[in-house]
Amino acid sequence: MNPACTHIIDDDEAIRDALQWLFKTRGVACQVWPGGEDFLAAWDAAWRGCIVLDIRMAGMSGLECFDALLARGCELPVIFITGHGDVPMAVEALKKGAFHFIEKPFNDHDLVDLVQKAMTHDAERQRAAADRETLEARLATLTAREHEVMELILEGKYNKVIADQLSISMRTVEAHRSRIFEKMEVRSAVELAQMLTTLRG
Amino acid sequence: MPTSEALGPPALRRNWLQYLPYLALVLLIAAIAALVGLTRQYDTDEQKSALISDVLWMEQNLRFQLDRNEAQLQQLGAELFAGGRLAPQTEAQLNHLLRQERGMERILWLDPAGRILGAMPPRIEAQPEAEPRVRKPSENAFDLARGLGRPVYSPAYPGADGGARFEVHVPAWSDDALLGVVVGVYSMSDLVVRELPWWFSERYRVAVLDPDGREIAAKSKVAPLAVHLSYSIPFDPPGYGLTLSITAYKGDTRWVPVLLGASILFLGLVIVWSVLQLRRQLARRQRAETELLRESAYRKAMEDSLLTGLRARDLEGRLTYVNSAFCRMTGYSADELVGHTPPLPYWLPDHTERRQELLHRLEDTGSTPEGVELRFRRKNGEMLDVMLFESPLIDADGRHTGWMGSVLDITEQKRARELALQQEERLQATSRLVTMGEMASTLAHELNQPLAAIASYNSGCINRLQAAEIDRTELMDIHAKLGRQARRAGEIIRRVHDFVRRAEPRREPLDLNVVIRDAVGLVEADARKRGMRLVTELATRLPTVTADAVMIEQIIVNLLRNAMDAMRDTPAAQRQVHIATRVEGRQVVVRVSDRGSGIDTETRARLFEPFFTTKTEGMGMGLNICRSIAELHQGRLGFEANPDGGTIFILSIPVEPA
Repeated sequence: MNPACTHIIDDDEAIRDALQWLFKTRGVACQVWPGGEDFLAAWDAAWRGCIVLDIRMAGMSGLECFDALLARGCELPVIFITGHGDVPMAVEALKKGAFHFIEKPFNDHDLVDLVQKAMTHDAERQRAAADRETLEARLATLTAREHEVMELILEGKYNKVIADQLSISMRTVEAHRSRIFEKMEVRSAVELAQMLTTLRG
Repeated sequence: MPTSEALGPPALRRNWLQYLPYLALVLLIAAIAALVGLTRQYDTDEQKSALISDVLWMEQNLRFQLDRNEAQLQQLGAELFAGGRLAPQTEAQLNHLLRQERGMERILWLDPAGRILGAMPPRIEAQPEAEPRVRKPSENAFDLARGLGRPVYSPAYPGADGGARFEVHVPAWSDDALLGVVVGVYSMSDLVVRELPWWFSERYRVAVLDPDGREIAAKSKVAPLAVHLSYSIPFDPPGYGLTLSITAYKGDTRWVPVLLGASILFLGLVIVWSVLQLRRQLARRQRAETELLRESAYRKAMEDSLLTGLRARDLEGRLTYVNSAFCRMTGYSADELVGHTPPLPYWLPDHTERRQELLHRLEDTGSTPEGVELRFRRKNGEMLDVMLFESPLIDADGRHTGWMGSVLDITEQKRARELALQQEERLQATSRLVTMGEMASTLAHELNQPLAAIASYNSGCINRLQAAEIDRTELMDIHAKLGRQARRAGEIIRRVHDFVRRAEPRREPLDLNVVIRDAVGLVEADARKRGMRLVTELATRLPTVTADAVMIEQIIVNLLRNAMDAMRDTPAAQRQVHIATRVEGRQVVVRVSDRGSGIDTETRARLFEPFFTTKTEGMGMGLNICRSIAELHQGRLGFEANPDGGTIFILSIPVEPA
């Protein structure tokens, strides 16, 4: 897995260089790109971290680059750097799902803080994604009957009711139940419900 | 309504007056007719009384004749009965009596027994036996005369020749003895015919009628009779129911009264006709008057509704007419203005001379079709800008009597014009401000770049300095970069300064090639980054132009940037901006060609309009400013299609004279 990294996209070389230096002094890994085109050419879905995107650039503009990234399914949080008077553009970007925007001239610490927050957000997102994968793998091990019984357990029904509904014996229901708990690696029905709620949103 | 009240009585009087002549005429004609009638009546009466007196006179005459004859016969009687031969004087007397005009035809003398003693003319040739028979009707008369001893007339009887006759028997006495009877035989017609004088028979027809109304004797001529003028009286003597009937001949038509009547009638008709004509004339005149009245009311309404002021003045400049619009304009009433002589109340004091001059001009040229702009002063002191058009007033005889002027109030127009001018100026100022704002905004953005970089470098340095370990070379490097960014910011500030100073271009002799090289240097980095190539093809020994270097550079940079923007989608191999300079006549021409997408028709028309842009982030002022700058240098900025695809922008600046 790739280490998290901040991608700075700005057409002004001085800005790029200065930001790189700033992030370096704060111990944030970063990589700089002179334009949206270059970044898109190199982009890899496995990248982690965040993107700092100048909204006003010669050639491909920041918004165009953002649209292209969205189109490719990039989930990295994007922080826009906007000039004075570009706020409407920034708002549009936020509506499309940008993480945040910071207006020039900005306080460098604010920017670094924002970048760190974005990276944390990305990490959490990654972790949540990983949890979901684990859960889905566990669910996949259940048999069809066990799924049926689990749904009824999640509805909060007693074993007796479940047995009646499925026309099986209480004992069989109990056997299913313990097997489900075992496979889903939970100790109680409450825990099972909590786990599945996060998965199903 | 007061109007109808005022109109009522005269109308009534007019009506009454209108019929008075007819009434008088009718009365006059009636009076004249009555007069004529009365005259006629009087005339007729006169005729009648003349007739009657004539008739009476005739009757008198006849009677007198008969009486005279009677008396003579009586006188003769004694001598006739004397016996023997008739004395000669007696005979002479008899003959005298028997003259025709006396009406007596024969005289007989009879003895008291009725035997004929003699006759004159002698009755030898007559049949003796016939006489008594003939005399039979008169036997009564003979007897009566003998008995009474007085003359007696016999009734009329037809004679041998058919003519009516009558006799008078006159007894002759000697002392108291009857000697005999003298009989005078009258021929009726002779009596009537001979006895009447010519003038009488000329005027009247005289007839003797028997009791049965038969005419037995008449004196007449062939002439029409006036039946209404006739008179009958008994013919006595001889009596016995005889009647004398006298009828007047219809006299000559009396032309004078007829003509008079006719002429009166004719004149009456003429009067009626002329009154009718007069009346028609009057009606026509009245109609014309009404028409005129309506027309003038219409005109008045028209003049009053006009927004154009009208005023007429005579040759001395005295106002003779003003319409209501003119009164409204000047604020004076018509009474105050009409009759006023110059200087007029609405003139401005300093305009009096000008007017005099205008007047002279008007007299020279005849009219002012193009109008003259003047200023009036209203009664309330307000000023009024007007346009005056004058033309000569010519009366019906073709004489020039004055001037008619139409006056247009152009105060509002003038104000609007001034307002528009002011707005135009304000707009220009605004547009200048917008341009400045656009420039300032661009420069602010550019200035943000180095400042942001400086801030970031600085923050990084502080971070490093807070940490224990310090890498000197690293910090040195960063500070060098920091300094570079500070200079960059300074450069931008200088450009702002230059831009602000741009209001007055600083012109100096300039080699455009140098300016172009600078401009290319400015955008070269950007071009390289975007994969564009800048190719220059500069003419050697270019003549200098007088221009502001910064401004021209601004144009070139702008054109280069546009060219590169246009080639965003051009294949990398063709991304080339070509900049060429050439001398063409008295112009130095700079061509900036790109191989981009070209300019479509819609864009072509609006390319230089302010606020027109095809870029998402542009304000649309770039090319507009460029063109303004070019024009400031008496140059031009245009474009044409590139034969190889794309567009060529052409800047031409005139070569410095000398």
